[in-house]
Amino acid sequence: MQPREFSLQAPLMFLITLGILLAVWQISSNMGWLPAYIVPSPLVVLAKLHETFGTMVGHALITVLEILLGFILATAGAIIFAVFVVFFRFVDRVAYPWLLVLQVIPKVALGPLLVLWLGFGFFPKVLLAFLLAFFPIMIATIIGLRSLDGNSINLMRSMGAGRWAIFRYMQLPASLPQIFGSLKVAITLAVVGALVGEFVGGNQGLGYVLVVANGNLDTALLFVSLVWISVIALAFYGLIAYVERLCVSWHVSFRDSLAALRA
Amino acid sequence: MMKPLAELTAVAAADSQPVQTHIQVKSVGQRFGIGNTMVTALEDIDLTINRGEFVSLLGPSGCGKSTLFMIIAGLLAPTLGYVEIAGKRVTRPVTDMGIAFQQDLLVDWRTVLGNVMLQAEVRKLDLEKSRTRALGLIAQVGLAGFEDKRPWQLSGGMRQRVAICRALLHESDILMMDEPFGALDALTRDQMNLDLQDIWSRSGKTAILVTHSIAEAIFLSDRIVLMSPRPGRIALDLRIELPRPRTVDMKDTPDFIQYQKQLRALIGTH
Repeated sequence: MQPREFSLQAPLMFLITLGILLAVWQISSNMGWLPAYIVPSPLVVLAKLHETFGTMVGHALITVLEILLGFILATAGAIIFAVFVVFFRFVDRVAYPWLLVLQVIPKVALGPLLVLWLGFGFFPKVLLAFLLAFFPIMIATIIGLRSLDGNSINLMRSMGAGRWAIFRYMQLPASLPQIFGSLKVAITLAVVGALVGEFVGGNQGLGYVLVVANGNLDTALLFVSLVWISVIALAFYGLIAYVERLCVSWHVSFRDSLAALRA
Repeated sequence: MMKPLAELTAVAAADSQPVQTHIQVKSVGQRFGIGNTMVTALEDIDLTINRGEFVSLLGPSGCGKSTLFMIIAGLLAPTLGYVEIAGKRVTRPVTDMGIAFQQDLLVDWRTVLGNVMLQAEVRKLDLEKSRTRALGLIAQVGLAGFEDKRPWQLSGGMRQRVAICRALLHESDILMMDEPFGALDALTRDQMNLDLQDIWSRSGKTAILVTHSIAEAIFLSDRIVLMSPRPGRIALDLRIELPRPRTVDMKDTPDFIQYQKQLRALIGTH
């Protein structure tokens, strides 16, 4: 079985479909099928993008920082918490149910409360990004750490391994593929968290720009914000996928075992 | 139809050291569950294994041989009785031991060499020396050139060889194997038996093999401990007086067939 090759085919296909989409869109606008106040043409959006670039960079930077901080805290916190859940029965029994309760509350609904408690600044956004990203990482890590078969543990114990060595040499590496999968989900949720935080209160960030543009019926600016958000989210996702490739290229999902099943 | 015993024991005596008790199983019993659901897995097991001896625990599924294996390795505390290794009572996982299971338990994130080296890393042995030794072992089992391959690139037999290298790396006194070749095809299995005999005879280790293959047990063992199920007991403790090194052809000799018949008859009656 050959390792799956990295190929330029996928990005190329993306660019081609993007080109076609933009062309159809532009033509539709030119023909008057799409009113500009509902969907501005790509060229109008491009002009707006250029015009607002300076101010948007500032807003984007703030949102990026919120996402990054929320995501990093969520990753560290969720993995550490998962370790405690797996290794200490007490944590599993006492804290885990409360975490579930917290998870079933729609975090977005917490936005106004967070603003009330933490003000309009930077941190409620970070906290919301953190809250949304935390759960999937924690669940994946718990499942990953628990998926160790009995004889692997027996083998390690016969080598004199204690709890820590079993964790370091077996459980952690074995759960990395699952953890990376959850990170990919979590990063998109962290983006949502930061944006919703900015919707609710504050005067900077891409979410804030969205709210303002909406208020002014500035659809071109709305689209510009969307472009910024998509690019940022894609960049984060790509970064995680890259680190994943570096860390867990040994995993079966990188081997293209399913090649024979695909059309 | 046995050969004159004198001839065979003479061969065995020539290369044997003074007999020294290595592993002692004393009145071991094991029960699982409580009340109505209680199962007696082992009852009254007494067993003495000498240093350098190759002993097989043979029996059908459910006879408790794997349970006994776990108890000897210190991975399971017996309900009754105890185990002594080199005169010391076993109360925790025995570390002066290399273990191989039916699953090779190789990890995909390490290479062949890395998997063997896991033993050295966990035990915090000298990594440079261990590496040299690991490469030697890998070559000895015929996997030279595969050091940097990943487990998924190997066949089942090759994987199990790597697992055995891992069990041998730290030069412990005991080698314990629980059905190590159970998942392999018959041809590979014969070859693995030959290789294992070779490795074991050079190492001087005390070896315990759990198996349900009568032929494998006869081929490899100095002694076969035949176990009967429910509750697991020792039905027969049989010394195999075939000369070493044993060859595949020996499986067709009258002696070998005689042992086979004897064991099969006993397994059939239980």
